[in-house]
Amino acid sequence: MKPVEIIHLYKTYNKRTGRLWGGAEIKTVLQDINLQLGEREILGLVGESGCGKTTLAKVLLGLEKYQNGSVKINGLEIKELTKVGFKKLRRQVQVVFQDPYSSLDPRQTVRQILCEPWDIHGLHTDTTERERALRELLQAVGLDAAHLNRYPHEFSGGQRQRIAIARALALEPKLLVADEPVSALDVSVQAQILNLLKDISRRRALSMLFISHDFAVARFLCDRIAVMYNGRILEIAPAEELLHNPQHPYTEALLSAVPVPDPLLQKKREPVELKNEYQRAAASCPYAVRCLYYQAAKCKSTCELRQTVQNHFCACAVLPFKNKKSSYAI
Amino acid sequence: MNNRIFKRILRNKASLAGFILVSFFALVALFAPLLAPAHHEHNPYQLPQSSYEVTPQPPSPQHIFGTTEQQYDLYYGVVWGTRLAFKIGITVTFFAFIIGLFLGSAAAYFGGLVDEVIMRFTDVVFAVPSLVLAMVIAAMLGPDIKNMMIALTAVAWPSYARLVRGDVLSVKNRDFVVASRALGARGPRLLLKHILPNSIYPSVVVASLDIGYIVLTAASLSFLGLGAQPGTADWGQLIAMARNWVLGSGADTWAYWHTVIIPGGAIFLFVLGWNLLGDGFRDILDPRQG
Repeated sequence: MKPVEIIHLYKTYNKRTGRLWGGAEIKTVLQDINLQLGEREILGLVGESGCGKTTLAKVLLGLEKYQNGSVKINGLEIKELTKVGFKKLRRQVQVVFQDPYSSLDPRQTVRQILCEPWDIHGLHTDTTERERALRELLQAVGLDAAHLNRYPHEFSGGQRQRIAIARALALEPKLLVADEPVSALDVSVQAQILNLLKDISRRRALSMLFISHDFAVARFLCDRIAVMYNGRILEIAPAEELLHNPQHPYTEALLSAVPVPDPLLQKKREPVELKNEYQRAAASCPYAVRCLYYQAAKCKSTCELRQTVQNHFCACAVLPFKNKKSSYAI
Repeated sequence: MNNRIFKRILRNKASLAGFILVSFFALVALFAPLLAPAHHEHNPYQLPQSSYEVTPQPPSPQHIFGTTEQQYDLYYGVVWGTRLAFKIGITVTFFAFIIGLFLGSAAAYFGGLVDEVIMRFTDVVFAVPSLVLAMVIAAMLGPDIKNMMIALTAVAWPSYARLVRGDVLSVKNRDFVVASRALGARGPRLLLKHILPNSIYPSVVVASLDIGYIVLTAASLSFLGLGAQPGTADWGQLIAMARNWVLGSGADTWAYWHTVIIPGGAIFLFVLGWNLLGDGFRDILDPRQG
């Protein structure tokens, strides 16, 4: 039984046209998502903004409804859960958000923030027992008991993110959804938080869905990385494999934009040229409009993940390329 | 933070003047029983009447502000009128705020049809000029201070409903609310613990500054005979009684000036005080002014 199993997930939004009695426009934001997350596995989800990463996270958290397909967490289908079952699910899946300045209620002290999950679920009701649990929680994220009666605005970004992580751990979840948890932090603080997340996931045997737009960060933390574009997953592979041997043209384009720390090498790297061919929009591959390797006959019909190398899945129909340019592996 | 706002209010001359005016009226209202001992124990708002003579008498040692039509004492009227003004202003604003808070947050939180129904209803209330609507309601319920307060509340709540709705909408989808939902928190907890504490602050400030306007409208209703009854220590009522004496007596235009200027001045200074204070608050709280 896998912690997360997503099969043929579709999600659409109804966008109202603005008139009082006007109809709705349907916008598909997640299209045919298939994902599995093993125990203790950290899966990175990489893609540009607006590609559906956060929506996928919200579906996993049960905060967004989905129309078609199946999302199972520890074997339980989210859609079919009763109210009680749903509340139990909350204890298994928790979330850390990107911006620690907006994810903590400015009018609550750290103690109130950390006790809220226990209040909701009726845990640690005994006072001394609760104090002990609080101390343990703070210790796990590297905070001090003296911080308990302070308000979020008294902390730095890194400390706030530690508080947010502590809150997520309070219910001892099995799965942690981390939605760009370090993007809003300084680089030096990023490293601390990443180390903390890595450490915690090992110690607590957590599975994690780690959303990011930064390959270097994903590489450090993740076992596997999935690349998302326009609501679809285009490539998924073990982290090192993906970065050394990117197969999808989109992954390659993304990697070409990552700066390398060697100025000589960096000079030689030219970003992949992106097309803008709107007549290709009807193709089933979402990347067709911008793709360098577009072949009408192949791209129009199918866009399904298939195994190209061991454990390496790619959704490009044109593969393998004949005249491939230099590699952008990092 | 509140201390900081207070200091900035005192630094600005206009808002300092407003603060002094409002504090002065507050003290008068508070110490009304000492400043003008009640004549009718059961109803201190009933004006003392020294005789039934119609012609107002100018200020004299016995009646330092003079008397108005039918010998009602103006000093007593102004002092107890201050107390009544605060009573009306605070009660009406309080209830309007509570109703607006309830409806506005319900509209924003539930959204969809609930939002549509509540906000269209507030639009309907907004569509009628508020003084006219208050007059209609007060006339239907009958002239009485309590009914006037009901009428004023009925026209004052929609602006709070709109304000609260907007603030709740902006807080509702902030990350800390979503995080709380992910923890398993449901409706009442989310609204009371997270959304409202972070969204009512601007409305509270607006409410505190609305008091001047409410008192002005109340005076208008009383003047039109839809509020306080003749003989009540109410500023609007005092002005209504001065209506026949505005032009003075034949040759002397200013013969009865005190009947108009004294209660009118009280309303003027009271509303001016609140408005100056309100401007000060807005200058400080409006982010565009930094």
